[in-house]
Amino acid sequence: MASSLPITNPPLVCWNCHERTVGTHFCSSCGKVLQVAENSDYFAMFEMPRKLWVEMTALEQKFLQLSWKLHPDNFMNATAEEREISLKRSSELNDAYRTLKDPVVRVEYLLAIEGARKEGQTKQQAPPELLEEVFELNESLDELREAKSSGADTASMKHRLEAAETNFEGKLREVDGELQNAAREWDNAIDESADPTRRKALMSKLNELLNRRSYIRNLVVNVQKELL
Amino acid sequence: MGRIVGIDLGTTNSLVAYLDAQTGQPKCIPGPTGSTLCPSVVSLDPDGSIIVGEPARRRLLTQPERTIYSVKRLMGRGPADVQSELKLFPFRIDPSSNHVIRVQFGDKVFTPPEISSFILRELKNWAEAYFGETVARAVITVPAYFNDPQRQATKDAGKLAGLEVLRLVNEPTAAALAYGLHEEQRGKVAVYDLGGGTFDISILKLISTSDGDIYQVLSTNGDTHLGGDDIDNLLQAFVHERILQNDKIDFSPHGELAQELRKELIALKHKLSEVDSVTLRFPLPNGKVFIHEFTRGALEALIHPVVDRTMVPVGQALVDAHLKPAEVDEVVLVGGATRTPLIRRTVQEYFDRKPHTELNPDEVVALGAAVQANILANGVQNMLLLDVTPLSLGIETYGGAVAKVIPRNSTIPASAQELYTTGVDNQTGIDIHVLQGERELAKDCRSLARFTLRVPPAPAGLPRIEVKLLIDANGILQVSAKDLRTGTEHSIEVQPSYGLNDNDIERMLEESIEYAEQDFAERQAIEARTEAESILTATAKALANPNAANLSVPERAKIDSCVAALKEAAQGSDYKQIRRQIDELNQATEHLAELLMNSALQSALEGKKLAEV
Repeated sequence: MASSLPITNPPLVCWNCHERTVGTHFCSSCGKVLQVAENSDYFAMFEMPRKLWVEMTALEQKFLQLSWKLHPDNFMNATAEEREISLKRSSELNDAYRTLKDPVVRVEYLLAIEGARKEGQTKQQAPPELLEEVFELNESLDELREAKSSGADTASMKHRLEAAETNFEGKLREVDGELQNAAREWDNAIDESADPTRRKALMSKLNELLNRRSYIRNLVVNVQKELL
Repeated sequence: MGRIVGIDLGTTNSLVAYLDAQTGQPKCIPGPTGSTLCPSVVSLDPDGSIIVGEPARRRLLTQPERTIYSVKRLMGRGPADVQSELKLFPFRIDPSSNHVIRVQFGDKVFTPPEISSFILRELKNWAEAYFGETVARAVITVPAYFNDPQRQATKDAGKLAGLEVLRLVNEPTAAALAYGLHEEQRGKVAVYDLGGGTFDISILKLISTSDGDIYQVLSTNGDTHLGGDDIDNLLQAFVHERILQNDKIDFSPHGELAQELRKELIALKHKLSEVDSVTLRFPLPNGKVFIHEFTRGALEALIHPVVDRTMVPVGQALVDAHLKPAEVDEVVLVGGATRTPLIRRTVQEYFDRKPHTELNPDEVVALGAAVQANILANGVQNMLLLDVTPLSLGIETYGGAVAKVIPRNSTIPASAQELYTTGVDNQTGIDIHVLQGERELAKDCRSLARFTLRVPPAPAGLPRIEVKLLIDANGILQVSAKDLRTGTEHSIEVQPSYGLNDNDIERMLEESIEYAEQDFAERQAIEARTEAESILTATAKALANPNAANLSVPERAKIDSCVAALKEAAQGSDYKQIRRQIDELNQATEHLAELLMNSALQSALEGKKLAEV
């Protein structure tokens, strides 16, 4: 896959003028809004390479620019077919912006379109090095729930859980840092046109970090819920 | 093409506006009385005609069982949802209501979208009288926090009123459009909109680009059952309680007396925004007068809980927009209830800046709707609105949990695709349940639609069906499905969990024709007759009072002859003649009105007409 090259959609045939067209959003010969291309992805919509570091101001500006052109408000007096296409295109644009602007969702999306996202069983399974701490945490959570239902004093247990919460929040920041580093490695690999083996290894690393992150995040959310 | 108007379909009042081509500014259209506010009250005359607005509002006192207000509270809701409202509002829900609420009006029943359509039709008539031409297309505003069924019900109401609804626009967003156009302000703007029945908070970013101005909503939150009505309910409950204790009189919320008291309390609430204390003097059926002095401080203590409830969504909206209160550049107050000094103070303290109140809080939403109507009429030229969906969209998964597929505050239109397959060999259907809300369990979210995907028999796991959920620019859900193996589109019959289906709407459209096109004079005559009826009732009641014996013989004769003349005029269809006789009777009964006031009341009520006592 030629991810390092600037992405342009392969030529397709315009639904309106039936000419072959090279535009991303509008037909290069008749100017009509184009159908969503089957093989298009969010990076291609923004005419960006599949890299993980994104300049936010540029992304926003591109989003606003495309919104002007694709929003259904522009197509109120157009044919039913064009209105339908505009609705699809502008929803796709909004979905793309929502996905790319969040750094974690962006990684998930990249792995998904590269066919490398595997949530699998890891979601339920604690990473081995966390097993002991997670076991303790779950015990404390059970104790607190029991104490709550029997009306016993919960102050000391809450205290312990708060400490655990702080601990896991720290781990969350750690994993976020690792994710950032791995993302940078990925971008470098793209810039250097790295071989498929190295890319595969990086993607599997990113995937593992995502699973680890989502596991820790679930833990933190669960603790926060009990502490409320 | 015809004009496109902007309509604010409010809980308490509704308005219609248009963009004046000469000035480039939006303007509200006045009705027959000269006021731009149309009270959102509908009454069914015994003769079968529908009365809307000010004349209907007067009927709340004379014919409460045939008159309804605040119907917006019932839009898009099921009978089970509104049980708590029934204690506070005189809604008479037909017991046979199943998924759609039916409201009893005398001998007829109507659904909330039908009742709202009567209000929309009235505003359509105002606009047509004003322009001298047919108006068939409109932009209608809805509370930003309205969910899918509530939005759909509003769209249905437009259709039933003979209007093509080009767009539903969120009320705070509309207010921001009007405000932005007026002030030419840029930056981050918070719109705090407390209306008659709903509360919204929206955070927007106003951006100037080389193409023009973009109004981008960053986040929105609210409560669709929190508004000025709740303040009135608190006041009413307070006075009911006092009267029950002191005089052992129990008010039924359905009664005339409760409606009269409510009217007095609303006036009192408005006065307390201007002055520091007001004394309520309310005549009771036992001949006594209930007297109570309300200070602004006491009112504020009473309504504090309502104001506090609004600040929770405000905090959440800021969190969702990733902003601190101090990072908001401007705050705009919208909705009649924001005239309350306590609300102004609370908002000002929270954001640490003086909120904007330059634009009329009653009109600003309709004005913004007119701006959006103009954008849609002419295509985007120098303004674009990017709004969000207020609630997360989800699909029920195994065990009754909800998987969120479009998070709240996503820019709309927005979509999500989900892939489905079968779990057992030769399974022919997959059940899908779409929900809206933030809670984790399906039973705690709003059910939007259930449907079954039909699958051709095949080994388990082989079928691949992609379901696409799309929220359009109105915030309304569309569902489609595609068989990825064959590439064929599936047609899905989505049965809405709440609200009207297409057959209901067709039937109602047919029925609505009988209430449709009455000409102007006929409508005026109906309104005048209503007013005549209400003053005749008030006069008869007054004449039955022992104090009426103090009238002089000529005075009494004059009243009797005016009553007879008005009754006769009301039989005819000349509305001017009816109005003349109403004025005459009003003059003739001035002294009677005075006589009826005991000494305690005299000072407060001097110079009032009988119908106002």
